[in-house]
Amino acid sequence: MEITKLLYIEDDPEIGGWLARDLRERGYEVEWLKDGEKAEERAEDADLALLDVMLPGLDGFTVGQKLKRRHPQLPVLMLSARATVEDKVQGLAFADDYVTKPFHPDELAARIEVLLRRSGKEGERPLRLGHLLVRPQELTVTDAESGEEIALTPKQLQILLYLLRNDGRIRTKEQIYEAVWGEPYMEGDKTVMVHIRYLRERIERDPARPQLIETVRGIGYRVRST
Amino acid sequence: MSRRRLLPRLPRRSSLLARYSAIIVSAVLVLPLLLAVVGIATTVSTALMSSDRGDSPYRDPTKLRQSWEAVAASLGGIPEAEAASRLRDWQARYPQTRVFRIDAQGRLRESYPHREDLPTQWTASGTVEFMKKAVNGPIFTVVAFVGSGSKSGSSSGSDQGTGPTAGFNAGSASSSDSGEGFIVMEIPRELTKPYAQRGGRVSSTVYAVGVLTLLGVFLAVSFLFFTRIRRRLVRLQQAMEQPAGSGLPQPIEPSGDDEIGRLERSFSAMARQLEEGRQREAAEEELRRELIAKLSHDVRTPLTVIRAHAFSLEKEPLRESGRESLRVMTAKLDYLSQLMENLFSYNLLAAGKYPYRPARTDVARLAREQLAAWYPAFEQAGVELSSELEGQAVYWEVDPLWLERVLDNLLQNALRHAASGRFVEVRLDEREGGRLSVADRGPGMDAPSPGKGSGLGLQIVRLMLARMSLRLVTESGPGGTIVTIEATSYF
Repeated sequence: MEITKLLYIEDDPEIGGWLARDLRERGYEVEWLKDGEKAEERAEDADLALLDVMLPGLDGFTVGQKLKRRHPQLPVLMLSARATVEDKVQGLAFADDYVTKPFHPDELAARIEVLLRRSGKEGERPLRLGHLLVRPQELTVTDAESGEEIALTPKQLQILLYLLRNDGRIRTKEQIYEAVWGEPYMEGDKTVMVHIRYLRERIERDPARPQLIETVRGIGYRVRST
Repeated sequence: MSRRRLLPRLPRRSSLLARYSAIIVSAVLVLPLLLAVVGIATTVSTALMSSDRGDSPYRDPTKLRQSWEAVAASLGGIPEAEAASRLRDWQARYPQTRVFRIDAQGRLRESYPHREDLPTQWTASGTVEFMKKAVNGPIFTVVAFVGSGSKSGSSSGSDQGTGPTAGFNAGSASSSDSGEGFIVMEIPRELTKPYAQRGGRVSSTVYAVGVLTLLGVFLAVSFLFFTRIRRRLVRLQQAMEQPAGSGLPQPIEPSGDDEIGRLERSFSAMARQLEEGRQREAAEEELRRELIAKLSHDVRTPLTVIRAHAFSLEKEPLRESGRESLRVMTAKLDYLSQLMENLFSYNLLAAGKYPYRPARTDVARLAREQLAAWYPAFEQAGVELSSELEGQAVYWEVDPLWLERVLDNLLQNALRHAASGRFVEVRLDEREGGRLSVADRGPGMDAPSPGKGSGLGLQIVRLMLARMSLRLVTESGPGGTIVTIEATSYF
């Protein structure tokens, strides 16, 4: 399998050196640039860009916007010491995610994984969820133990994939509905609940005590792959 | 009238007091003087008018009556034709008069000039009626018995002073006296009065017009004086109330050198100072903002490096005490970076530079998403996070990012200071415009907490809520703390 390449733009040598090392240890190929001048060319074969907001010369927002224009498919993750809401809004206007310093390298790695999965780079690799093997590219779900394919309706599959894309994070019924149906959620709608019940009947060993899709009472649903 | 032209010509040089005094002085001194002048002018002009006419034969009613009585006496015992001719001659001498003669039998003999309105037959009661009417009427009437020179009656006004005041002796005339009838002379009473008096009505009208004109001029001048002051004051008031784009009043052009002009100058100076102050303040604010932004970045960068090395240390084989030190270090680093962020946010908020974009916000949904984000942190700390949001429809007109930030701070506080209670509940109540509360079972706000800081986080919450027309109510005791966000107004 091809090694995932990250383009990392950071002016601070200490942080840059440490994070580049940490990410390499996690199995990524990292190209670390000290400024954004050559970012666009270097992004040609990158799978994801990590961008610091405060850069000498062009600031991170400008570099990020240029990158996005040139490579619309490239996921961009902003790293910033500026944590105001305003900055986040400005960053998320084009970037795919925004992480404030100081961050835990595990959290950053998790966010990178999510972005890569979303962009399809990791799609070839089947995802393991409990006894399930999910292949997002082929849109199939198989029981890893029996090897049998589990037939899901398109909506059930989309819900499962959406939760997997947000692995470890809780999604509310509104978020699930809007992501899967692509329409604004109407108050009091039970559609998501009903679909998840049917989904559980298909995938859970014991639908009465679900293990794969966890209900967080009053908040939402979550899956945790291992 | 000249004042009118003077006002705009030497305006606003002198003080308002001086000009007001001028108006008052002219009212007190000049006005009566002018009134007197008008009075004199009227009298003089009337006198001139009457002297033009020369003497009138009717001016002395006494003479007129005597003349008439003489005619009456001369008519005694002469033939009818002769009597008529004498009467006509007399009337010709006084053409303004009207005369007629009644004979002994009460018949109307003749009238000069000829009249149709007189009764042809006069009875005693008819005669009395005629005389009664004549007493105070506009016609001066003299009745004389033919042949008798001494007895006659005349109608006269009480103001006249000539002749019997209201007497009329014809009624008491004996039959012997009226043996040859009587003659009557009439003349408009106006003509019997002196000119000065006769013109009284005219001259008083002239006088009144003069007085009214003067009063009108005075009122117009006063009115003009006050409307000008008012207009200038209103202009000043509008300049104060209608600030320019900067939100501050703009300096205005002074309209004179008097008190209002000085006020306008002071106002303009003040407006300029305000503007300068605002600019200076903005510059300082900008500098401080920059400084804090830089500081925030400058502090975060080494923090990130320290943090990074702490993470690297985690992977090393350490003894339990070393791990504990590392945990404390990491917690303090978290706190420090949080503090930096709060400082930065507070700085922006206090300066009103924090962008605020209110929109109709589904509070339950927003809170649910916030809880979803916080749930793992609570889970890790072993704190149950309970959500009581279902079925409560609350919509607030707020900036969702702000409300997220508020909830963030409240949940962070609960996690940091009340984790010992092992339970945090977020509850939404749709009554009374909506209430969102975060309740914990921690030791309360007054209890000493190792992570207790400056309260900047809560201060940010209060500032943001106030801006969003929401209110924070806290109830805290040893059994826990309930922090409630309430709508300040609801419909």
